[in-house]
Amino acid sequence: MATNSRKPVLEIRSISKRFDTTQALDDVSLDLYPGEIHALLGENGAGKSTLIKIMTGVHPPDQGEILLDSKPIRISNTVEAQGYGIAAIYQEPMIFPDLTVAENIFISHRDQGAILRWGKMYRDAEAILAKLDVHLDVRQPARGLTLAAQQAVEIAKAISLKVRVLIMDEPTASLSAHEVTQLFKLAAALREQGVAILFISHRMEEVFEIADRVTVLRDGKKISSKPRAEVTPEGAIRDMVGRKVEEFFAKSQARRGDLLLSVRGLGKDGVFSDIGFDVFRGEVLGFAGLVGSRRTDVGLALFGVEPADAGEITFNGKLIRLHSPDQALQIGIAYATEDRRALGLTMPMSIAANISLPMLREYLSSLGLIRRTAEESAAERFRERLAIRAPSVRVEVARLSGGNQQKVMLSKWLNARPRLLVLDEPTRGIDVSAKAEVHHMINDLAAQGLGIILISSDLPEIVAMSDRILVMREGRQMGLFTRAEATQEKILTAAMGQNSGAGGNH
Amino acid sequence: MRNLRRLKSWEGLLLAILVVVVVNNAVQSPVYLSVENQVNLFQLFVERIIVALAMTFIIINGEIDLSVASVMGLASCLLAFLHEQSVPMPAAIVVTLTVGVIVGAFNGFWISVVGLPSLAVTLAGLIGYRGVARILVEDRSIGNFPEWFNRLGQQPLLDPLPLASIIFFILLVVAVVVLQYSAFGRYVYVIGNNREVARYSGVKVRRVKMMLFIASSTIATLAGLLLAARLGAVRGSTAEGFELDIITMVLLGGVSIFGGSGTLVGVGLSILLVLNLRNGMSLVNITSNTQTGVIGALLILSVLIPNWTQDARSLLSRRRRTGHTPVTGEEKGG
Amino acid sequence: METLKRYLRPEQIRELSLVFLIVVTLIFFGTQIEGYFSGRTFNRITTTVAIIAVVAVGETLVILTRNYDLSVGSIVGFTAYFVGTQLANNNGIAPLAAVLLAVGVGAMMGLINGVLVSYGRVPSIIVTLGTLAIYRALLVNYSGAKTVTTDSLPQWLLDLARANLFKIGELDFRLMVGVALALVVIFQLVITYLPFGRRLYAIGSNPEAARIAGFPTQRIVTTAYVLCGMLSGLAGFMFLARFGNITVVAAQGMELSAIAAVVVGGVNVFGGSGTMIGALLGALMINTLEQSLIRWLQISEFWRDALLGLLILLAVATDAVIINRLRNLWARSGLQARPATETPGVQVLEEAGHDA
Repeated sequence: MATNSRKPVLEIRSISKRFDTTQALDDVSLDLYPGEIHALLGENGAGKSTLIKIMTGVHPPDQGEILLDSKPIRISNTVEAQGYGIAAIYQEPMIFPDLTVAENIFISHRDQGAILRWGKMYRDAEAILAKLDVHLDVRQPARGLTLAAQQAVEIAKAISLKVRVLIMDEPTASLSAHEVTQLFKLAAALREQGVAILFISHRMEEVFEIADRVTVLRDGKKISSKPRAEVTPEGAIRDMVGRKVEEFFAKSQARRGDLLLSVRGLGKDGVFSDIGFDVFRGEVLGFAGLVGSRRTDVGLALFGVEPADAGEITFNGKLIRLHSPDQALQIGIAYATEDRRALGLTMPMSIAANISLPMLREYLSSLGLIRRTAEESAAERFRERLAIRAPSVRVEVARLSGGNQQKVMLSKWLNARPRLLVLDEPTRGIDVSAKAEVHHMINDLAAQGLGIILISSDLPEIVAMSDRILVMREGRQMGLFTRAEATQEKILTAAMGQNSGAGGNH
Repeated sequence: MRNLRRLKSWEGLLLAILVVVVVNNAVQSPVYLSVENQVNLFQLFVERIIVALAMTFIIINGEIDLSVASVMGLASCLLAFLHEQSVPMPAAIVVTLTVGVIVGAFNGFWISVVGLPSLAVTLAGLIGYRGVARILVEDRSIGNFPEWFNRLGQQPLLDPLPLASIIFFILLVVAVVVLQYSAFGRYVYVIGNNREVARYSGVKVRRVKMMLFIASSTIATLAGLLLAARLGAVRGSTAEGFELDIITMVLLGGVSIFGGSGTLVGVGLSILLVLNLRNGMSLVNITSNTQTGVIGALLILSVLIPNWTQDARSLLSRRRRTGHTPVTGEEKGG
Repeated sequence: METLKRYLRPEQIRELSLVFLIVVTLIFFGTQIEGYFSGRTFNRITTTVAIIAVVAVGETLVILTRNYDLSVGSIVGFTAYFVGTQLANNNGIAPLAAVLLAVGVGAMMGLINGVLVSYGRVPSIIVTLGTLAIYRALLVNYSGAKTVTTDSLPQWLLDLARANLFKIGELDFRLMVGVALALVVIFQLVITYLPFGRRLYAIGSNPEAARIAGFPTQRIVTTAYVLCGMLSGLAGFMFLARFGNITVVAAQGMELSAIAAVVVGGVNVFGGSGTMIGALLGALMINTLEQSLIRWLQISEFWRDALLGLLILLAVATDAVIINRLRNLWARSGLQARPATETPGVQVLEEAGHDA
């Protein structure tokens, strides 16, 4: 493992980078040693992705330098980075769905010669995959592969390019627990071969499973960099957050009302199965699990976006079949997506227009025209209530900060006056004070009698905010905890399953 | 707000060019600015600009309808065919309009229900509907319409405007109201900006798209009828190639081909610009084919120039911010 | 099933079914029409297909990259007219020079298309809709609305159309058909074995990944358009040889036939998959059906376009449905994969903000 006599393969020295008014990176230095997995921790906004972009040649640094084998280098674009042996794989693999697996592995090669030799390519591809102990048909188009398999292909591609530094940016974010194990096996194999790996993840448990060294970034600065043995999860979280864990907002006691939603045996082919739970008025039901446990899919089923194939949903005592979002809205169910940019907001439109959208029918005059003043005053009410920082509700949402955008999106769904609100990662990617405001709001809503399903990958948040917690893993329900019996350890254990690699869908 | 600013400057540009063109034309020909000439000018293109109104909605919605000109041709030919078969004119008109609705629903089915790309479906329609028109009319020219029909098409109804122009202005008002002030109009923008966001917000995306394509084909059919009335006779090639003018007028008006933005004010200005430009070219005896070539160039420029200004703007702002010019190959972002 | 899946890609299954359909069509019409299996039918079909096939090869190169070229008809018409005029004015121009002239002019027109699409970032539909009009206007202006007539052209040119490679009984294998076939084979090899060809697929399959992988995307797409222009130029030369009389409406609408052939032949309108052989089969299928229908029902050629439109629609619909089935099949065998970017037209992914 870590020996001091080795020299680092890549040294990042005092890198700084500024965008507009944000100092994304401020004098950050770290070293990557061959055969070592170096974890990079940090909240959203800490500067992790900016660092990656600099390392892969997407942006140049404002100050500082990068040394490869102790020699300073300039990385002007992704091709040059590749030439230096620096490669990155991301959450969303960049593969070509119509090309075969083998071709995907070798497509970036410069030295393929004038004529492709397919036989050789297939054989070489099989050899690389064999070395990684991955079983895939190299002749099949990449389109049909699961996300995990696609990532394996990307790793194979990196190996074929003789990668020396592999950056893995949140690679496990959409994988099942079983697939995460497979990925770690691959990472270990790479480590054996002397590759330096920079591993970025939000998942504390993963970091502590495979990292040799842990570096924490906060607000663009490096806070600490230590061998794993010297780091504890609490210490790391403290470094990431800058304050103690207990300072998280805690939900006030629930006054549980009537049964609002009852789900039995809910299932969707190939996605999730046999999910059952109840939600009462005035309570927050947390959905915990590693990202990719298919909690979002359950939420989408409850909102009619991707309806379930099996099971029963009873809402307010009536059995219902959900088949479209507008129907769900009419029944009284709203769903706030986890990806506000791609799914939650219409960026060029004003705050008011975004907030009114699901309920636009209510703002029409007798002639069917939009009553702008009514729309704007409704938006004003939310601006006040959620403390949305913007000059007016006519401003286009693209100009707002992440936290304020999130608030606009939440306002949109609150405006729909739902009885059940599903929140999917409501505090992801927003700053600390906005987070607190969102937590306050959730508390208020529950007090007003809404039923809330809170899907979150932030363990402390879920433990603090939920009255009860449902844990999912790989599309299956692993357990239901009350507030009293829930601890982070118990939830995590349930979320990762008792035996890693046992059962489940493949 | 950025979009609005950008649009205002685009419309300002259009207005400026329009003024230049009109002045140039007026200088070339003293009778240019007369009411008679302007009305004439309008009449020559009125069917096309009627369809441009519908096309605006379609493109803002992020789709395209390449088949409009063929539907116009089909409508004209179907009407002529029915009339030739001794079907009374009013009945023939009703039948043709019905067929137009069906064609729109047919297009809409493949696009909104099956989910095929509108480009491919309407490309097939462009070929197919023209083909059906040819089957009906073959290589003949069919005319001999009732006198009242031709009168409606060619003579002023409400001095000095003929029926078609009146219909255009009515549809223009309706279009503006619907697009800017109604829920449907807002849905059109939202879907064009991001279809998934619309769906997740409870918008009935499929229904909106289906209605748009039905409207597009129906309006094209109406335009085809008006065209037949004005021309007095139709051929298999009637309205061939009109889609170029129509799409150009929309895109030149600042409507983004990618969907989600654009206004009818811009389209109105570009319509005036295209009309006066064409007229100006006719005045100096530029053939219709060459005119079409110029329109083609305009079409390309209407997308090329915004791209350039956007590049220039981000280049300038980047230089201002970081004090250095980015090297080529660097990603756009930041 | 497994071995079949291993060696038969979906594209090849499509091609085989096309061959099957063509054979069925031939057999069917053979029973319905007297004298169907004659040298005349063979000639008529093959010589028509030859010209369209050359254009279709070029169009395929472009469509593979998720773009379109609607201007090919105007390029064919212009080069046919331009070269025709040169030859009419000077019968002494060497054949090779004439061919090179046609190809060269086509290359330049293709270059303009390519630069506007890849460097100007104007969607290909817009560019080629525009150049379709511009090039046709160029033709009309250059020609002054005059016609190139057969008797003004050198004899070798007119003989070229009838020149045979060889003859089997009644069937003439014309030189032009041989050229078309050779080009199909050559470019099929290009897209299968040359890195350049594979990158065409990559760009169409996932433009964002191609950009990130560092491919010179703009250069590759421009090259595809230049090649398409060159092939259209060559087709223009063949057109000139075959028809002799070139008017200003020469080859008008040919782009639609070419796209129809390509789409029916299994080339995906989204880019990323399809073959030259498929394009050739598509052209064969369409033409055979067309010619046969005309002779059978004694219906006029006016049914042509209606038929074409219907075929395109069917081909696109079938492909979409099949792809969906395949995807469901694979999804059932494991957790659903999130598909890579599939939206056509919008090629630039917004970079996420500076979160993390």
